[in-house]
Amino acid sequence: MPREALGLLQGTVDVLILKTLSWKPLHGYGISEFIRQQTGGDLSVEDAALYQALHRLERKGLVDSEWGVSESNRRARIYSITPDGRKQLRSEVVELRRYMAALFRVLEPA
Amino acid sequence: MSPTFRFPFHSRSRIASEVDEELASHLAMVAARLEQEGWSPPDAASEARRRFGDLELTREYCRSEDFRREKEKSRMIVLEELRHDVTYALRALRASPGFTLIALATLAFGIGANTAVFSVVRGVLLAPLPFATPDRIVRVWESSKTLGIPQGTFSEPDFLDVRAESRLAESIGGYFFADNLTGVDLTQRGTPERLSAALVAPGFFETLRPRPLFGRTLSADEHTPGRNHVAVMGYGLWKRRFAGDPHIVGQTITLNGDPFVVIGVLPREFTYPAAQELDVWIPLSYFGPDAIGRGRASHFLSVIARMKPGVTAAQFRTEISAITKRLSGNYAENSGWDAASVATIRESIVGDVRRPLLVLVAAVALVLLITCVNIASLLLARATARQRELAVRAALGAGRGRIVRQLLTESLTVALFGGVMGAALGYFAVHALVASGGVQLPRGGNLHVDGVVLACTFLISLVAGLLFGALPAMRAAGPALEHKLRTGARGSVGGGAQAQRLRGALVICQVALAVVLVAGAGLATKSFARLLSVNMGIRPEHALVVRMSIPPEWSDSVRGPAYYESVLDAIRALPGVDAAGSIRDLPTRGMGETPRAAQLGFPLADADADAIIHMHHISPDFFKAIGAQLLSGRDFQLTDRRGAPIVLIVNEALAKRYWPGENAVGQVLHAGGTDLQIVGVVGDIRQAGPSEPAEPTIYIPALQNLRSGMSIVVRTKGDPMRIAGDVRNAIWSVDRNQAISEVTTMENVLGKAVSRQKLLAWLLGIFGVLGLVLGALGIYGLLSFAVTQRKQEIGVRSALGAPASSVMRMILGQGMALATGGVIIGTIAAALLTRQLQAQLYGITPGDVGTYAEVIVVLLGTALIASWSPARRALAIDPVTAMRQE
Repeated sequence: MPREALGLLQGTVDVLILKTLSWKPLHGYGISEFIRQQTGGDLSVEDAALYQALHRLERKGLVDSEWGVSESNRRARIYSITPDGRKQLRSEVVELRRYMAALFRVLEPA
Repeated sequence: MSPTFRFPFHSRSRIASEVDEELASHLAMVAARLEQEGWSPPDAASEARRRFGDLELTREYCRSEDFRREKEKSRMIVLEELRHDVTYALRALRASPGFTLIALATLAFGIGANTAVFSVVRGVLLAPLPFATPDRIVRVWESSKTLGIPQGTFSEPDFLDVRAESRLAESIGGYFFADNLTGVDLTQRGTPERLSAALVAPGFFETLRPRPLFGRTLSADEHTPGRNHVAVMGYGLWKRRFAGDPHIVGQTITLNGDPFVVIGVLPREFTYPAAQELDVWIPLSYFGPDAIGRGRASHFLSVIARMKPGVTAAQFRTEISAITKRLSGNYAENSGWDAASVATIRESIVGDVRRPLLVLVAAVALVLLITCVNIASLLLARATARQRELAVRAALGAGRGRIVRQLLTESLTVALFGGVMGAALGYFAVHALVASGGVQLPRGGNLHVDGVVLACTFLISLVAGLLFGALPAMRAAGPALEHKLRTGARGSVGGGAQAQRLRGALVICQVALAVVLVAGAGLATKSFARLLSVNMGIRPEHALVVRMSIPPEWSDSVRGPAYYESVLDAIRALPGVDAAGSIRDLPTRGMGETPRAAQLGFPLADADADAIIHMHHISPDFFKAIGAQLLSGRDFQLTDRRGAPIVLIVNEALAKRYWPGENAVGQVLHAGGTDLQIVGVVGDIRQAGPSEPAEPTIYIPALQNLRSGMSIVVRTKGDPMRIAGDVRNAIWSVDRNQAISEVTTMENVLGKAVSRQKLLAWLLGIFGVLGLVLGALGIYGLLSFAVTQRKQEIGVRSALGAPASSVMRMILGQGMALATGGVIIGTIAAALLTRQLQAQLYGITPGDVGTYAEVIVVLLGTALIASWSPARRALAIDPVTAMRQE
C-alpha cells in the first residue's frame, strides 16, 4: 500500500491540470495518472475535483476537448491546452512561486 | 470573402450524454487498472466509483458548465455573424454608390417627412391637454338659426343665467379673448409692451383647473370690483420679461396704467384660450361697460363648462338649449338665439386642423411607401445582377435562411442609416417650422422632436427596411439558386424574366402612388394660387402696419381723439410716407363690431329683420393707406369729428344690397334719434380673408366714436420695413410710454392668413415632385435593365431585318404599358383619397377634371421621357457584337 497521498491546496488543481496538458493532450484519467507518477504518488487529485476543474477550464476557454481514442482503444474525451491556457499557466506559476516563497520565509526563516 | 462556416451547435441532451460517456469511460479505465492489480471485476467497478468521489455532483457540475459554455459560444457566433453581415453589407453598399446614394437620399427624405409630421401630430393632436379630466370639459355656444350663426358667443347676462340655472355642469366659466385684440399695456418695467391677455369671467379656472407653477389662479371673489386688480402670468412672459423670477408672486406690475398684483404663474403648456402663447389672464370685470358692452345684445363671451361625471355632451346641450330658448322668449335682444351647441374642448381646439394634419400624414406615408417601392425595385435589379455571387455563397454552404438574413441585414443597414439622416432632417424641419412661427397651429408651442418621436422614427425605419428588403431577399435566395450558378454564366434566363415581372408590378405601384401624390399637389397648389390671385380689395405691397392701443378711459374725453390724430399726424409728417390711416381690426384680423341692420335704420325687407352689419372705426386716409378704392363720394375728413354730423362710408356689397341700382351716397339712415349720413362708397375689402366674399360693411370715423385698438397702416414707396423705425419714433415723440404691440408689413399680415394653405401647398407640391421623380426613375431603371438583358434578342431581331422603329416601339410600348396601368390605378385611388382635401381647397373641387387630365398627361409624359433613353440605347445595339457577346 503506497504512502497516503497529500491533499491538495485549494486552487492548485487548475494549475496542475494546465501544466500537465502543456506537455501533451490527455484524457482525464491520463491526467490524474500523470500527476500521480510525476510526484511519486505524493500528490493525487480526486477524480471528482479533476473533472469539475476540466469542465470549468474548458468553459473559460483555457482548455479544449475533443473525442478521441485512449491507448486501450476506448472512446475518450481528450483535453488540450489553448493559447489562453498557456498564458494563464505562466502567470499562475509566478503567483504560486511568490506565494510559496512568502510562506517559507515565515515557516523557515533563513 | 470569408466563408460562412457555422459551428455545430449541441443540444442539451447531447451535452448531457457526452458528460455521462466521459465519466463512464473514466470509471472503466480505473476499473481496468484495478482488475490488473487483482481486483475482481465487480469489486473493481465499485472501488473505482468509490475513489471517484461525489459522482452525481460532478455530473451535474460538468453538465451545467458545458451548457453555459455552449450558450456563450452560440451568442458569440450570432454576434459574429451579425458583425460579419454588417461589414459585408457596408462593403456591398460602398461597392454600388449610385444605389446607396439614391436609397439613402430618398429614405432620408421620406423618413424625415414622417418624423416631422408625426411630431406635429403628436404635439397638436395626441399630447394630453393641460387640464384636469379634459374629457368632461366642453365649449358651449349660443346658436341662432335665424341669424345663421351656429356657434355664437354669449352676452354676459346670458352667461350668468346659464351659469345659475345649469344642473348638469359642475362649473361654467367664460372668457373674452381674441388674437391681436384683447390685450393690456405693460409699462413701468423697461420698454412698454402690449401684452396679449385673456379677460376671464368667473368659473374659467374652476372649469379648466390648471396646476400653477407658482402661486394660484383667480379665486371666486377676485372678480368683484375693488379686488380685481390681480393677474395670472403666462410662462412665456414670466421668462421673457421677469427672467423667471421665482418670487414674482405677490409683486405688483403696471397694466394699462393700473397696479396689478401677480398671484400666480401658469405652466408652459397652459396657453388656453390662445393657440401658442398667452401673456396674462386678468378678471374681465376690470374692464367696465364703457369698454365692453354688457347688455344682452353684446355677444362677446366664450363659454366653457365642466360637466358632472357621467353627463354626456348631448344631455348637456339639451339642457343649455332649453335655457337659451327660454331666454330668447324673455328678452327682445335674445330673439333668435334659441338653441345651443356643445363640443368637447379638444374638438374645439384642434378640430379645425385634424383633417389637414391627417391629410399630411397620409401624404408622407405615401411618400415613404413610394420610396420603399423604389428601393425594393432597385434591390430586385441588384439581386438579379448579384445572383452569381449569391449562388457561390450558397454553394459554399450558406443556407437559404442565412442568405435571406444577409440580404435583410443589407436592407436594414440602409434603412437605419436613412433613419438617422431622416431623424436629423425631421428635427431641423420641426425646428424651422417652430422658428418661422408662420404656421398658425393650435398648441403650436407644443412641437418638439422627443424620445417618443425618435422611437417612432426608428420603428418606421425598421418597417421600411423590412418592407423594401423582404421581397427581394426572399426572391434572391429562392430555391433556384443552385440552378443559377449553372445558368448564371450567361446572364440570367428563367429567374430574370420572373424578376422583371415583379419589377414591372412594382413600377405600376410606383406610378400609381405618384399619381395620387401629384394629384394632391396639383389640387393644393391650384387652390393656393387661386387664393393668392383673389382681389382682396386692397394693395398690401408697400404698406407698413403698426399696432397700438389708446387707454380705453380716454375714448370719451377730448384727450383720446386728440392723441389719435396727433399720432397719425406725426407719422404723416415723416419723409417717404404717402399716406397713413388707422382701423381697429385689420383685414383678416377681425370682423369689427356687428350691430343689427335694424338698429342702424337700414331699409329692411321682413326677412332681414335680424341681419347683421359689420362696422369698422377708421381714420381719414385709411382707404388711401391700405389701397382700397373709393368708388363714389368722399373719404372722411378731419372735420368729421365729435359734434359734427355723423357720417359713414359703406362698402359696395352693402350699397348693392340696400340700394340696388341707386346711389348710396347721400342716403340718410335714422338710427334711434341719430341721423347717419352716407358720404361715400368704397370697393369691397375681403375682411375675413381671401376665401370669403365681403360682408355688408359700414365704416365710421374713429374721431366721432373712438375705439382703443389702433392698427395704423402706413403707405410708402419702397420696402415698408425701412421706415418702421421712424414710424415707431414718431409715435414715441407723441408719448414715450406708448406700447407698440406689433410692427410688420401688410403683406405679412395677409401671408399669415393663408399660411396654412401655403404650407399645405408647398408640402404636397414637394411630395408630388418627389413622387414624379421616383416614378420616372422606376420606369427608367426597369427599361434600361430590360434593354441590357434583351440585348441578344434585340440584336437577333435587327439582324433578321426588324426595322429600328419596331424595336423602339417595343421598348417604349413596354414603358407606356406599365405607366398606363399605374395611371389607371392611381387615378382611381386619387379620386377616392383627395376627397379628404375638400375642406382645404378654395375655388376647386377634389374631383376637378382639368387637374386630373393634367396629372395624367404629366405622368405619361414623364414615363415617355423616362423610356426614351433606354429605347435609344436598344436602337444603338449592333446585331453582330450583341450576338457575339458572351
